[in-house]
Amino acid sequence: MDKQFIQVGIRRIPAPATKKTKWYEGKPIVSMVILGIIVLGCVCCDLFIPKDPTYMDLYHTNVAPNGEFWFGTDTMGRDIFSMIWYGGRISLFIGFFATVISTAAAILFGAISGIEPKWLDNLLMRLTDIFLSIPGLLLIIFIQAILGRANVLSISFVIGITGWTSIAKVVRTEVRQIRNSEYVVAARCMGAGFQRILWKHLTPNFISSIMFMVVMNIRGAIAAESTLSFMGIGLSLEVISWGSMLSLADKALLSGSWWIILIPGVFLIATMVAVTNIGNWLRKSANRKESNL
Amino acid sequence: MIRKNPFVYYGQKLLIFILSVLLLSVVVFYVSRLAPGDPLVSYYGDRVEKMSVEERRWAEDKLGLNDPIHVQYVRWVENALEGNFGISYKYKMDVLEVIGGRLANTMILGGVGFVLIFVLALGLGIFCAWHEDNWLDRVICKVGTITSCIPEFWLSLVLILIFAVNLRWLPSSGAYSVGNKDDILDRVVHLILPMTVTVVNHLWYYAYMIRNKLLEEVRTEYVLLAKSKGLSKKNILFKHCLRNIIPSYLSIMAISVPHILGGTYIVETVFSYPGIGTLSYESARYQDYNLLMILCILSGIVVILCNMIAQVINERIDPRMRENEIAETSEVTNVG
Amino acid sequence: MTNLLEVKNLSVSFHTAQGELQAVRDVSFSLRPGEVLAIVGESGCGKSVLCKAIMKLLSREAYIKGGSILVEGVDITNYGEREMERLRGKLFSMVFQDPMTSLNPTISIGKQIAEAVQIHHPKMTKSEVYDKVIELMKLVGIEEPEERYRLYPYHFSGGMRQRSVMAIALASNPRMLFADEPTTALDVTIQAQILDLLREIQKKLNTATILVTHDLGVVARVADRVAVMYAGKIVEIGTAREIFYDARHPYTWGLMRSLPAYAKEDQELYTIPGMPPTLVDPPRGDAFACRNEYALDIDYEEMPPMFKVSDTHYAATWLLHERAPEIKSPVEGMKLSVAGRNVSMAGRNVSGTEKIASIEVDTAKYERAESEEKSPVMSETAGALEVESAEPSASHDDILLDVQHLTHQFKLSKSAVVRAVDDVSFQIRKGEIFGLVGESGSGKSTVARCVMNVYRPQGGRILFNGIDVCDRKQFKENQKLLQTARQIIFQNSTSSLNQRMKIADIVTEPLEIHHMKTARGTLRNEAEFQLHYVGMDKSYLDKYPSELSGGMRQRVAIARALSMEPELLVADEPIASLDVSIQAQIINLLKHCNLEHGCSILFIAHDLSVVRYLCDRIGVMYRGKLVEVAPTKELFENPRHPYTKRLLSAIPVPDPELERSRVISEFDSAQVGQNGQDESGGSGQVELRLAGEPMSDVNGRMVEVCPGHLVMKGGHE
Repeated sequence: MDKQFIQVGIRRIPAPATKKTKWYEGKPIVSMVILGIIVLGCVCCDLFIPKDPTYMDLYHTNVAPNGEFWFGTDTMGRDIFSMIWYGGRISLFIGFFATVISTAAAILFGAISGIEPKWLDNLLMRLTDIFLSIPGLLLIIFIQAILGRANVLSISFVIGITGWTSIAKVVRTEVRQIRNSEYVVAARCMGAGFQRILWKHLTPNFISSIMFMVVMNIRGAIAAESTLSFMGIGLSLEVISWGSMLSLADKALLSGSWWIILIPGVFLIATMVAVTNIGNWLRKSANRKESNL
Repeated sequence: MIRKNPFVYYGQKLLIFILSVLLLSVVVFYVSRLAPGDPLVSYYGDRVEKMSVEERRWAEDKLGLNDPIHVQYVRWVENALEGNFGISYKYKMDVLEVIGGRLANTMILGGVGFVLIFVLALGLGIFCAWHEDNWLDRVICKVGTITSCIPEFWLSLVLILIFAVNLRWLPSSGAYSVGNKDDILDRVVHLILPMTVTVVNHLWYYAYMIRNKLLEEVRTEYVLLAKSKGLSKKNILFKHCLRNIIPSYLSIMAISVPHILGGTYIVETVFSYPGIGTLSYESARYQDYNLLMILCILSGIVVILCNMIAQVINERIDPRMRENEIAETSEVTNVG
Repeated sequence: MTNLLEVKNLSVSFHTAQGELQAVRDVSFSLRPGEVLAIVGESGCGKSVLCKAIMKLLSREAYIKGGSILVEGVDITNYGEREMERLRGKLFSMVFQDPMTSLNPTISIGKQIAEAVQIHHPKMTKSEVYDKVIELMKLVGIEEPEERYRLYPYHFSGGMRQRSVMAIALASNPRMLFADEPTTALDVTIQAQILDLLREIQKKLNTATILVTHDLGVVARVADRVAVMYAGKIVEIGTAREIFYDARHPYTWGLMRSLPAYAKEDQELYTIPGMPPTLVDPPRGDAFACRNEYALDIDYEEMPPMFKVSDTHYAATWLLHERAPEIKSPVEGMKLSVAGRNVSMAGRNVSGTEKIASIEVDTAKYERAESEEKSPVMSETAGALEVESAEPSASHDDILLDVQHLTHQFKLSKSAVVRAVDDVSFQIRKGEIFGLVGESGSGKSTVARCVMNVYRPQGGRILFNGIDVCDRKQFKENQKLLQTARQIIFQNSTSSLNQRMKIADIVTEPLEIHHMKTARGTLRNEAEFQLHYVGMDKSYLDKYPSELSGGMRQRVAIARALSMEPELLVADEPIASLDVSIQAQIINLLKHCNLEHGCSILFIAHDLSVVRYLCDRIGVMYRGKLVEVAPTKELFENPRHPYTKRLLSAIPVPDPELERSRVISEFDSAQVGQNGQDESGGSGQVELRLAGEPMSDVNGRMVEVCPGHLVMKGGHE
């Protein structure tokens, strides 16, 4: 009989090597790099900034960008290049801290609403709806206006407590869904307690679905801080942040010093665009589906 | 499921509306009075500092600030029901008069802006969804993301810098030039920059939402059935997908009315546009109680009303919401 | 006769992140006018993709790599979207798997059908369109079409929606109909109705049909010809008789052998070893070789060509090569035993009519029995045989689970209540597998969840080892015992495993919860042991559920349940979402658990052929009530309740001759419920059960007709 036609039965054949996708494929690399540079630069700014950002050099006010002052100086004679990195710390910190506050509030609120009985859920959600339809920035401005001048912590707090609503809604829906999902039912049947279900099952699962909104919140908080400071109810001129740098814009407009307006603005927007892109990528990677059209 | 008769349905909504406004007025009244600051400053200006104790007391009595807060509130409600909302401490005029002209300015800026955003967002969203992942779509998405990241005040500044300071094409502030109060064209010219900022700032948020909602619809299975019965791409997109997202778009746009109106506030400040925004800020800053009350209640009414419209759209127009009521039956009732 | 459709060497690929996925590889077949071609295969074998590729319904990631599609001799392979739009609906249209998602939820049914009518008849007037829609609705068996015209999809039940989809597909009288798993998402009895409708329409309109399915029973009922697909290729094609009685490809053999309908009671089910290959980089040679016990050396080297068996029958296996060794088909002589009637697999010598005759004899026997029961003597005795005393053979401590008069209802709104479970009583003995069967919405899952304390029942008692699990005090006292001794497995293995936990953590979760000492040292060793037991090696320990296939995930769920060595395993439709060959693996595993650990199983299913193979006793549920309980053999041989009879007769049998001549027992639902059931009722079942009319329609008492066989009687009499 032919050798080829010998019955050999089942033979293990090595599984074909699956093509490994490169780690960077599909990731917003440019945004990540830009954000990385900005964050790193702000954190380590003491190492490289050429001038003292708080020093007001009255002989050199309103200097256009040149060899000595790379980004020029502001109306008070401070070096903008140094201020950008130095002030970025405050702006980023506020963005981060306000988001921590709002996320914590949102998770608490959403989780209560998701777990508690229907009437409380209805009440809380109505409240959230109303809160959601009040323009956040306006609310912040009102609260700040009533409170008067702010410091870094109070401004983060005000921004934080006004930005939790949309996350709370998502948390609530997710909690409801996960709570009724079969793996939670299975865990309950096994006798898992509330703590375990909360930390092992609920939290890891809804974190991914709110990641996008949390990232977007960072962006919103940075923008809110700059707007507040610009309006003159945020940080004072002495506390350097991107927002407070822009609050000199009125005077700059009169003297036509474009660099005072444009340069901090570009940094601000670059940060926000990078954050947005990363946020969008987080959302997209959560669900991929093909078009039927 | 049981549908309520429309009379009862809208009656209930009206009741909730009135109650909410009442609740809001209480909250605002108490909060504003508890906040730090001296309302006399807005009435008497710098003279307050030189006042003796007696003078101060007399002035406070005159404005009724010494009574307990609930007495003040009841008095305010009584007067309000008669149409008397008090005078503004700062402007020393009836608050309704103070608001009058400025309300119209804000409504023009916000209202026209809203309509523009609504229409353009729809068009842009559909356009992007149609060209999904095309270079056109990609470019628009990139540009859109960037525009939505620009803070309003900064965009205003840059536009002023370019068009008012450098090119001198457009005016940088006000709603009209001095002495030209009734010149419509002049008003329109003054509106161009603020309007641009308002629209550009919000447009992408809604356009992107429409795009994503449409793309989600396009991925459902009924699209395949529609396609297999021979419907063209255009018809599927417009007659099926768009139709399904319109109710939720309408309700989201309803909730967004306050957001877009609120957004004009910063624009008003930068462009020194005489509208409600600047007024609200001042009234809160300087404890101008009567003005603050009416402004808060006005914005509250807008917020609550828009919320209700959104709710009605959801509950009455979208047949899927009715379906959900049936679907939401299997909730876990008990833990072992 | 010329061919209506001819597909020549068609290859379809997808662009994916991992590279080119060859979903359809070099497929050729033809379709004649008015014939039904079934395409069978496991999920992921490319059968759906093939249909969609012909209609050009695939997403942009897909592209036709080679080959051609000819319709009546015209090559449409390179047609653009415009040209395809003109053909779709008129030349061919499609029915999809899930009727719940394939209709637009915001447009009324009538309008959606009308739209389909108008597309190819733009000149029709409104009233003409309306008449046509009504006519179509009547054609697909929607009663009272004038009233239903305005209703939305959510008013309709699954079967009604699928009928509506068919009306849409048939609107322009297409020459070809693609039906992509049209009955998979439906209940058995509805499935039979839809299949009959499909065949009826196909005869009436002479529409050629391509039926995509994984269910060989369905194929047997309607198909003229059958194509078996594996890994993107057609491996065997022939007439239904040729495929069922004279299959040549080892894969076809495997598919048939893994059907529970062919299983002998004392034997394990046959399973096809291994997993289907990935199509990103398909193996050299025959893709099935590594799962094929008859594989030849050449199978690993060279792809087999299509060998001709007869003019209509082709198979792609080297076994048909003249130099190949002679292998006797393992399918030959297999006995088909469904509904207690043994039919020889090679049963061509027994004519169809004879079989029918035997079925009729059975029915006659039943009627005789029924008339006897009606006699006064019988009903008197029946009264004495109430449920509690109904199990004379089971001594008291033999009973593990005793469900007594269990009632549970869901509140829909203030005035609407659904009584999901209504006065259900049954017992499970130690070491027994008890099957609970019924259609979706019959309350069987609710029973399972009540037993597991997920729901708190409104009435009745559940005794587990004598402990009343619904009593808070007793539950508290015995909490640990109850939580370890009862475990549950769910239908959907995707949602029953936490996507963010590693397999090792999932398996040992119950151990961790109860801080139990592990018999094998560390938790990890324990996890490894349990995985090994369910047939998975330790390389899976650090994977996440999303990296596993459906069958694998179900094994993990079983491993998790077994790690507690439970006395009672509640399996809530554990195999419903799995492929036939994988189903067999899971069934074997469950049977193994039962034999080795002696754990009792409450097995919930809608597939009667599986229940028959696996279970010792069976309870049939209908609309919240338990209507019949009997030992498996007894139930299949001597069904008493009309609903049970209908359920039994609706099981598709993988034998074309028997299946085609079989008449599905008519079950007059009015006999049991005054509301017409699913099909005639139209609006969803939930709405039918709103407050005013609870389940009073299925009232009656359980009567013991012979030892251990209880039937619900009364109510309608």
